[in-house]
Formats: sequence, C-alpha cells, structure tokens
Amino acid sequence: MATRKKTITDPLSDNNPITIQVLGICSALAVTVQVQTAFVMACALTVVLCSSNVLISLLRHHIPSRIRMIVEVSVIASLVVVVDQVLRAFFFELSRQLSIFVGLIITNCIVMGRAEAYAIQNPPAPSFMDGLGNALGYSFILLLVASFREIIGSGSWYGWNLFPEGYVGSGLAILAPGAFLILGIIIWVQRTVTQNFKDD
Amino acid sequence: MQKADRQLVRFAFIVCVTCSVLLSGVAAGLRERQEREVELDRKRNVLIAFGVESRDETGRRISAERVAEIFADNVGQVVIDPDTGEELPDSVVEDRAIRRKQQLPLFYWMEDGERQRYTMPISGDGLWGRIYGYLALEDDLMTIAGITFFDHNETPGLGAEIERDWYQEQFRGKQLMADGDLKEFRSIRGGVESQYPDGNPHAVDGISGATITSESVARLITEDFRRYNIFFKRLRDG
Repeated sequence: MATRKKTITDPLSDNNPITIQVLGICSALAVTVQVQTAFVMACALTVVLCSSNVLISLLRHHIPSRIRMIVEVSVIASLVVVVDQVLRAFFFELSRQLSIFVGLIITNCIVMGRAEAYAIQNPPAPSFMDGLGNALGYSFILLLVASFREIIGSGSWYGWNLFPEGYVGSGLAILAPGAFLILGIIIWVQRTVTQNFKDD
Repeated sequence: MQKADRQLVRFAFIVCVTCSVLLSGVAAGLRERQEREVELDRKRNVLIAFGVESRDETGRRISAERVAEIFADNVGQVVIDPDTGEELPDSVVEDRAIRRKQQLPLFYWMEDGERQRYTMPISGDGLWGRIYGYLALEDDLMTIAGITFFDHNETPGLGAEIERDWYQEQFRGKQLMADGDLKEFRSIRGGVESQYPDGNPHAVDGISGATITSESVARLITEDFRRYNIFFKRLRDG
C-alpha cells in the first residue's frame, strides 16, 4: 500500500513530470496563457493519461515488443480523438479555445513516457495510479504557470479581473518566452527547496 | 512466415480495426450534435453582430431556444450575385459557390415588416488559418454597427484577442467609405492615436504582438465589403 501511495504522490513533487523530468513542456507553454484553457487541458490530459495507462497495461502481455511503440501511439491517439470529439459536441466554446492543443496531447511526451516506463510492465491498478499521479503533477504545474501568466499578462485570474481598470498587461508573460521564464523559476525554486537533483 | 511474425501481424490488424471502428463510431454518433453546436454558434454570432444582447442579466448566454426564436422572428437571409448585385433565387444557391464567394449570403434584420440592417459574413486568411466572422452595417450601409469573429486558429492571448470585446467594440461607428468611394480599412500598429491624434474613422488599433492577425482582419474587411458593395450601392442609390 505504501508503494501505491508513492506511485501517486511521487510525481506531484519529487518526480514531477514537468519540473524534474522536464517533459510535456510544449503544452506547458502553449495552453498556459489563461487559467481556464490550462484547466481544461489538465482535465483532458488526466483522462487520456489514466485511460491510456490502463489500456496499455491490460494489453501488456499481448503487445509484441517490436511494435509496442506504434501500438502505444495508436491507443493514445484514439483516446485523444475521442476526447476531442466529445469536447466539440458538449463543450463547444472550450473546444474552440483549445483548438489544436487537445490534438497535441497525442505528442505529449508524458503520455507516451508513462506508457513506456510504467504501464507496459505493471498491472492495471498501479498503472492507473501512476497515470493519475503524473497527470496531477502536470496539472499542478500547468495551473501554477497559467496563474502567473494570466495575472501578470492580463491582470485577471480564470477570467475575473483582479486589478483596477487601466492595468496594462505584460506582453512578455503572454508570449511563449514568458512561460519559459516562469517555468524556469518554478523549477529553480522547487529544486532548491527539495534539494532533489543530481549534480555530477 | 514465422509464428511470431504471424502473431505480430494479427495483433497489429486487431489494433487497427478496433481503433478505426471506435473512432468512426464516436465521430458518427456525435456528428449531429457537433453540427448543431456549430450552427447555434454561428447564429449567436449573427445576433451579436446585429447588436442583440448575447447574455442575460445573470451573465448567462442566451439559450438555444431563444436564439432560434429571435432568428425566426427577426432575421432573414438573401444571397447576392457579386457581378450584378442582384438577389439570387433559392434555386440557384449553392454551398460551394458560397464558399468560393461566387455567391454572397447576407443576413437582414426585420422589424415592422421592413429590412432594417444588414450583416455580412466576412472571412480571409489570418496568421495560422482562415478567420471567419460577421460584420453588421448601420442604415447608411457604410458604417460598421458591429463585428464578431467566430472561427479562427490565431495564437491564444495574441491573435485570438480578436474574439475579445475590447477589440471588437472599437470597430463600431467606423466608416468603410469616404466621399462615396470605397476606403481601405486599416489596422494601426501602436494604436490609432499614435498616428492620428484626432482619430481616424477608417482605422482601428492593432493588437500588440499580433500585427499579422490585425492587418489580416483589416484586409479581409476591406476585401469582403468591396464584394458586397455592388449590392449596397444599389440600395444606397435607391
């Protein structure tokens, strides 16, 4: 039980997919201009990551190792398309805001990474936990970066204006380089606090 | 073929078939709902361009039923021939010709049995893809009454700001003609005031960080208005 708990808590900080493994950076830059889009992206990724991990894990004894990556990508891509279609049908506004980013979950290194590193050799239940933990670790950083960017860049949070009329947003926070800076600072702070890094 | 190879091919085949069946199923099952959402979104945007309040007192968007109701009561559509400026009968209207702008659809607002205002669809290339929107005109058929953009692939936070109220509101009251002639509409980098301290009725502020998107919007307005103007000219001349 202790290890199972660790599967879920580890990726939140000590082994965070974004700040420690520095995976999934592309979407961490792309969808973090506003908290709302980041939130939906986080939800979509959580669904995809958990289900892909479970599916891959269920298939793990049957997948021929020579084509295992292609199979993983097929499973992930199918799930992403399903999520995208569902968003379009039931959350039209949001799907329009996210536009191509949902599709880009397919290429999110975290999903493929967890399938390869964990789900392919572990039973479904722990794989689910692993997926959930990593998705939450990703979501946490995504929302953190988005909060900074939206507050500094647009003067609002989740669409609510925080500052009085006349606040001029910082263009830097809205552009991708701003995300790099904020992400860099987060990684720096986290590694300093946890002392969790190797420096050879 | 060895046994392992056969297994591999069989597995790959099963994966392919399962995935394609699943995806086709989902796509087919949801298509109707998706199309309804797209249609509703377009209608909402036509209404916004006409200046109908898009949100009620509680801040919620007006319902699908209400949109349909307003559409049935007040909104009509005609299709214009871009060469003659005449209205085309329904029998010759084709979706393909509309997409190629060989036929021009136009919405009008009916009140007291009269056509009062017109809204035209506008579209053109942006930075990443095509931008689609609606532009409503005042009675004089040369002043912008309202504008909306409902479909585009511009960068969120930059080009996608064209969806925001602050950007769209500045178009209201701007002129598309000067002294009876078509006038190129412009987007000014750094803001209209920086170049025209007294204001300019033919230009709006560009979006900083999204110059290409802003200029594309100005260009597509100019170009599409030129297409429709043949019809508006007939109306203006009476």
